[in-house]
Amino acid sequence: MSLIRALSKDLAARSDDSLRELFAARPDLLSPAVPDFPALAARASSRVSVQRALERLNRPQMQVLETLHLCTNTDTGHSASAPALRKMVAGSSVPILERILDRLQELALVHRADPPHGTPSGNRQRFYLPVGCLKDVVGIYPAGLGRSYTELVRLQPAFAQRAVQLVSELHRSGAEIQDATTPMEAALALQHWTSSPEAVQDILAHAPERTTALLARFRNWAMGAVPQAQRKASVATEGADVGPIDWLLARGLLVPLDAAHVELPHSVGLSLRGGAIINDFTLTPPVPKLGTTTAALRRNAALSAISDTLRLVGELLHTVQRQPLATLRSGGVGVRETRRLGELLQISQPQLGLLLELCGLAGLIRLDVDSSSWVQPPQLEWLALPRQEQWQWLVNAWLSSERVPSLVGQPVNGTSGVPAAHRSGAGGAIVPLSAEAQRPDAPVIRKRILEILLELTTEAASGDGAAPVLDAAAVLQRAEWAQPRMARRFSSLIRGVLAEAELLGLVGSGALTQLGAAFAGDNPDEAMTLLGQHLPAALNHVLLQADLTAVAPGYLAPDLAEKLLAMADAEGQGPATIYRFSEASVRRALDAGYDAGRLLQFLRDHSATAVPQPLEYLIQDTAARHGQLRVGTAASFIQGDDEEALQELLSGPRAAALGLVRLAPTVLASSLPPRETVQILRGLGLSPSVDGVEDSAVRLRRGPVPQESPRPVYTAPRLAPAADDVDAQLAVLRQADGAPGRHGAAGHEAEAATQLGLEALQRAIRLKQRISMNVVDSMGNATLETVVPLSVSGGRVRVFDPAKDTERVLSIHRIIDIEAAEELHQ
Amino acid sequence: MNDGPLIVQSDKTILLEVDHELATEARHAIAPFAELERAPEHMHSYRLTPLGLWNARAAGLDAERVLDTLLKYSRFPVPHSLLVDIEETMSRYGRLRLEKDPQHGLVMRTDDYPVLEEVIRAKKIQPLLGPRIDGETVVVHASQRGQVKQLLLKIGWPAEDLAGYVDGTPHLIALNEDGWQLRPYQRLASENFWSGGSGVVVLPCGAGKTLVGAAAMATGSTTTLILVTNTVAARQWKDELLKRTSLTEDEIGEYSGALKEVRPVTIATYQVLTTKRGGLYPHLELVDGHDWGLIIYDEVHLLPAPIFRMTADLQARRRLGLTATLVREDGREGEVFSLIGPKRYDAPWKDIESQGYIAPADCVEVRVDLPKDERVAYAMADDADKYRLCSTSESKSLVVEQLVARHAGEQLLVIGQYIDQLDDLGERLQAPVIKGDTSVKVRQRLFDAFRAGEIQTLVVSKVANFSIDLPEASVAIQVSGSFGSRQEEAQRLGRLLRPKKDGRAARFYSLVARDTLDQDFAAKRQRFLAEQGYAYRIMDAKDADSAE
Repeated sequence: MSLIRALSKDLAARSDDSLRELFAARPDLLSPAVPDFPALAARASSRVSVQRALERLNRPQMQVLETLHLCTNTDTGHSASAPALRKMVAGSSVPILERILDRLQELALVHRADPPHGTPSGNRQRFYLPVGCLKDVVGIYPAGLGRSYTELVRLQPAFAQRAVQLVSELHRSGAEIQDATTPMEAALALQHWTSSPEAVQDILAHAPERTTALLARFRNWAMGAVPQAQRKASVATEGADVGPIDWLLARGLLVPLDAAHVELPHSVGLSLRGGAIINDFTLTPPVPKLGTTTAALRRNAALSAISDTLRLVGELLHTVQRQPLATLRSGGVGVRETRRLGELLQISQPQLGLLLELCGLAGLIRLDVDSSSWVQPPQLEWLALPRQEQWQWLVNAWLSSERVPSLVGQPVNGTSGVPAAHRSGAGGAIVPLSAEAQRPDAPVIRKRILEILLELTTEAASGDGAAPVLDAAAVLQRAEWAQPRMARRFSSLIRGVLAEAELLGLVGSGALTQLGAAFAGDNPDEAMTLLGQHLPAALNHVLLQADLTAVAPGYLAPDLAEKLLAMADAEGQGPATIYRFSEASVRRALDAGYDAGRLLQFLRDHSATAVPQPLEYLIQDTAARHGQLRVGTAASFIQGDDEEALQELLSGPRAAALGLVRLAPTVLASSLPPRETVQILRGLGLSPSVDGVEDSAVRLRRGPVPQESPRPVYTAPRLAPAADDVDAQLAVLRQADGAPGRHGAAGHEAEAATQLGLEALQRAIRLKQRISMNVVDSMGNATLETVVPLSVSGGRVRVFDPAKDTERVLSIHRIIDIEAAEELHQ
Repeated sequence: MNDGPLIVQSDKTILLEVDHELATEARHAIAPFAELERAPEHMHSYRLTPLGLWNARAAGLDAERVLDTLLKYSRFPVPHSLLVDIEETMSRYGRLRLEKDPQHGLVMRTDDYPVLEEVIRAKKIQPLLGPRIDGETVVVHASQRGQVKQLLLKIGWPAEDLAGYVDGTPHLIALNEDGWQLRPYQRLASENFWSGGSGVVVLPCGAGKTLVGAAAMATGSTTTLILVTNTVAARQWKDELLKRTSLTEDEIGEYSGALKEVRPVTIATYQVLTTKRGGLYPHLELVDGHDWGLIIYDEVHLLPAPIFRMTADLQARRRLGLTATLVREDGREGEVFSLIGPKRYDAPWKDIESQGYIAPADCVEVRVDLPKDERVAYAMADDADKYRLCSTSESKSLVVEQLVARHAGEQLLVIGQYIDQLDDLGERLQAPVIKGDTSVKVRQRLFDAFRAGEIQTLVVSKVANFSIDLPEASVAIQVSGSFGSRQEEAQRLGRLLRPKKDGRAARFYSLVARDTLDQDFAAKRQRFLAEQGYAYRIMDAKDADSAE
């Protein structure tokens, strides 16, 4: 019976709770909803769904599944039971394996199956088979073991050619191996030769030194890179000083795949693992050795990081507001802009990259398409928020963003490990705010990393508030245990995510902070309360000093800070800001409409101390000399030697339209451009001449369209489906099951049919079976064809047509149905 | 957070709120490792530098104590990266040690093998080292002790010098404490220096650095070479030593342009040592040809480069540096650290003032309006002449006359840069003028007369900037300065800070021509003085008569 149909029956027989469990663990099964159990079974057996399910398995589950895969054959129906697997999983026991297999069955990754042929009847063990497409999903090296010699001979023609000679040379040199005349015989001989751990130990007893170390590199993965893998190595010609690679190649213990790679065959790998497929089975996750940091240091680091980040974001926004950031033609902000900003903010380029990205993903700066520059959105709500809410805004935005700030500065092609210094050429570094720093799975990975941090912190918790210092290696180690299939996606991002979390105070002094723990545990409100207690309130005063500075001893209320910036220049990086007054800065304030009295009054109002004499002198002295030159607007001027005539013009009502202002006894300024001034003057009976002046061009500029920058709301990435959806799905399934005659919409039925068809097709490919299928041609005519399918990929199937003795490629969507034309044709 | 007096900034400065109740406690706690940079009235600022942190390590402070202090007194969270940086920097000092090995002589040792590997591979250091003895030890050529230390500092691995010193030829020197006593801070400074071996003592102008030197000489009782800035200062040292110690006229030699005496205690000027003839330093023999047990460098911040080079060869002798400030206008603080030694004592100026050992000072900037014709001349002058023009304005002389009249009866100095202007002022005020070409004899006579109160007003050029003890000067009028030199300002003000008999505050006038370069430079000096915590006022020349 087809595995999909079997699964369908199994699912239909399950309780609601069991199905709920399944949906919780594999949420992709019900998005979108399925109409009936066959469709559900089909989806659960599809490659993509199995792939996702495997990503959620932990290491022991994965190991048992892979072992089951290696010990069974879905095509022949050869199943395996827990006692059979126990021999292959060193360190396990039957109950443990039963439990894991049970769980895997619950996840619809393995099925109950009939015992293999020859099993004595009355055996009460439970037998299992893995889901059909597991082979495609786990790849060619399940459990990290290589392929068998027979398979290698079949797939590697070069090795097939060499195998016979290799075996006879071995035979002649006195090894206990059967001589062979065909490649298949040679493969079987090699397999037999290496079939037991003791045999391999005996063989290796004469190996040159460092061979064991070399083989250790193949312990977890059967394939490895060696230089000149296809070199000539032979037992007959080798000398006493032979190297380990030559030695292994000459004995077929390593099989060359191409010029640079070799594979450790299955039987050799298995024997090296002591005859067990899994030799590092453990149910408890590895506990990393971690240093600790004190509660005080951790809190200090978190709070200083938060206030520093908020300060820098504020300063960055202030800078961007004054001068928007130009973008490169290829997107992102170029090095010239980042240098400028880095100098202004006194931070390094990597820090600046993180900061820019953070502002970008939080919507605090926005790409203005008209000017293709990054600007601050008008009426930015963030600026006016209390500091803890500003922080929450940033953290929420960061958690839910698909951008990865720490990728800035990494090489574009993404090969991690290459130093960021490498910048020229096609593989330049990723620039801030460019498209390359995007990773769709970033929210999930961030969430997962925070969870792992919390897990490790809780495990290592001690009473005195000390917390473990967690590094990328510890997190990765735990991730590799908890989700081995996901870990690779983690590895390149962990370091960066930790750095970003440190910037936001979620990680401090290397440890997860209380704030970080609150977010990891989905308790953002707790974090806000904590932060509210620890962030000092904004100050409303400064200290004025005789060296012409005003020191704000802490975080200054934003409106006060802004006013001070109008009259003094800010200095210093840190919690306190020093505002330095100078002639230029005071003049700036005067230009902005202050006068000496108001300036001094403002300072008196906001100073905790008296205004020092030198500062008062500076302001009064600058104000007294301010305005010795005046600048105003005029569109044209009128000059005449006759003072009386000008006076008349000025005082008379006739020229009121000109808006005249007297600048000197013989000069008037007009607010109209020369041509119009001349016209009006002529209308008054005067005859003015015009100097060679041009009209000033008036350019209209489109004002910026106000856009809101909504406050980001973070919802944790959905790892389990909503209860409502599950209930609805269950209702649909039970209803369909109760009325077997009635099926849902045709489209839904098709999903199951397609999966069934594909299953038949793939089975035929593996067994080299002939199949009959109805194919629709481009005119819509259906024809029945009998072919041997060879491979299927990308929506096409390659077939061999025995009638015409040719190979063809068919689109899968043209195939209406498939049935096996004959049984096991081998 | 706790409500401490410190605010630690990410840019490695520390702000100290002076009016806070824990301010004094916190100041003493951070003084060993942070350099006071600015001390205006409410918020002092300190800076954390590698040198400062290494100074602290040399004084036996470890990183943990430094971090504890910062966390304890800080009002806000301390930037974590700063804490990490401090720990890292401090751990670098002393990883390499210069030691004396009974078998191999001078060796460099470490417990940290990779550091030695790194250092040995440094191109410049390699030739100074001898054979490698074992993984952790390498021979250093004894003659290159200073050079090695200097280069190690440059690459960020300052070595701790534990190789000890030669004792020099013994010569009995005792302090002659009748009618006066060493002040507590002077005693402490001398003790700190002697227990540390070599190093620098930082005391404000007028705080009696000479006596620290004398105390150190008495402790060592060994032949001593004293290096000073000029001949007048040399005489001053000699007089002071005769007065305060058991040394007699015969035991003290002067080695200057005029005299070449070598005695158990010899006072030499920087100038004579750095005189070059035919590419050689003919007087160098004085330094290395004798068995000195102690070398004293007066005004270390002015030490000229050739003296540094000589000092590099003198690492086996004890070296005491005396100065009012570690800030060098040329930024060679690192060489002072590696060649003379770490800071051994530093007294906050405010503390010494509050104990009454130096007089408080009141700085007044007087803004003078240039008359119209001078303004025109100024506007049309070449850039090179502008500063001279505005500095020597006629109208300044008038203000000087007014001020002198107002302070009639007080000991008064008029200080200037331009000789013509000084001569002119001398005539107007009927006062003697001391300038570069005044002979030492005449200078000495005039100073003595001034000290005795026979002359009340003295017009001096910049020759008087350093080391001249004018105890009774209570008013100084600076008519022109050399641009914006912070150094000079501090020294000139220092002339006034010797405590007055009646406890009066010293008055320091600075005349500035409005709207000129003079004012720009004055702004720099004003900032410096205000940052040093001196009271500072600005007034207009027209108010100079009336206002107090």
